[in-house]
Amino acid sequence: MKKYICSICGYVYDEAAGIPEEGISPGTKWEELSDDWVCPMCGAPKTVFEEEESDVNAAPEKEVGADRNTEEVRKLSFAEMGALCSNLSKGCEKQYRAEEADLFNRLSEYFGNKSGITEHKGFEDLSELIQQDLNSGYSTANDSALNNGDRGALRALVWGEKVTKILKTVLMRYEKNQNALLEDTNVHVCEICGFVYIGNEAPEVCPVCKVPNMKILRVQRR
Amino acid sequence: MHAVRNVRLCTKDCLCLYVCPTGATDTEDGQIDAEKCISGCRACVDACPSHAISLVPDEYPPQQEKTDAVKKALFALSKSKAEQEKVAAGIADSSDDPIVRQLARAISKSNRVMAEDLLREAGYMLPQSQNVKSFLQSLLDTPQPNDFPIEVVKKLMEKI
Repeated sequence: MKKYICSICGYVYDEAAGIPEEGISPGTKWEELSDDWVCPMCGAPKTVFEEEESDVNAAPEKEVGADRNTEEVRKLSFAEMGALCSNLSKGCEKQYRAEEADLFNRLSEYFGNKSGITEHKGFEDLSELIQQDLNSGYSTANDSALNNGDRGALRALVWGEKVTKILKTVLMRYEKNQNALLEDTNVHVCEICGFVYIGNEAPEVCPVCKVPNMKILRVQRR
Repeated sequence: MHAVRNVRLCTKDCLCLYVCPTGATDTEDGQIDAEKCISGCRACVDACPSHAISLVPDEYPPQQEKTDAVKKALFALSKSKAEQEKVAAGIADSSDDPIVRQLARAISKSNRVMAEDLLREAGYMLPQSQNVKSFLQSLLDTPQPNDFPIEVVKKLMEKI
């Protein structure tokens, strides 16, 4: 009996266990799962799963260039300042500083309004931006964080890259199934890492950041 | 170090009320009265059977240094996430279809969370850090539009 791991969210399909609640009885071989079977956690197709053993010695060393550079941190956009201030607001909230949290929130809202929204774009434009992050943004940043021994940055990058791959899958599924994908179910977002889950109830813990599901919130349809 | 209570974890066993020497734990809004709380006392923290009370420092150590290279790479990604948040918000705004709006809002939210996390690791984790103070100061030092809430920034500079 073998195990297969989803390369996107880390879900493990165990042949020995099957998934009885989905009608897949214990002992069901990987090959016996239908081709359109998808990861029950993130909806990724069967093709992105890897056999457990084959994964152990993988992870090739990446060529790391001398990327230490002294370029000044460029100015932040309004959109980023909005996110920066909402992040600081959450930080104050965790310290039980309600007044400061509210002040940072007001700044965040101001920058959000200044920034506005981007019009006349569609899901296909989003997919393109996601692909850019996956093609270059994350590999550059991962190299840089590794090179500088910055495990905090690596942590954010590991979570973010997983969530980005999941967003890519979600958009692929939506393109294929259109509204049928969401019609009879719910959409949830993890407020810690951004993990998006399509299903009736959020999983017990977030598969990306492992936070309990009290922090995975349902997005209302309206 | 003063005590704070997480009301979502609090099981109302009230042991904190019995042990508090100043009555700081007994308040109408569920929060511990910081004025009455004795710094570092921790009697309520140890007594609480639900681990709902913890101590929060009044001062924090300087934050970890971030290298320019890591910052640059994280900022490049946070910029992309912030843009995707706006694109998704635009899709939600322009659609009449509730399902499209729901999906777009979920993606928008997800990108906001990722942007926040990247910026946190780019040197803006602790609200009281030097980086945040410099950021706020730079908002005061540079010309801002008329509608800029300058009093909010000034208040933050005072309180933080």
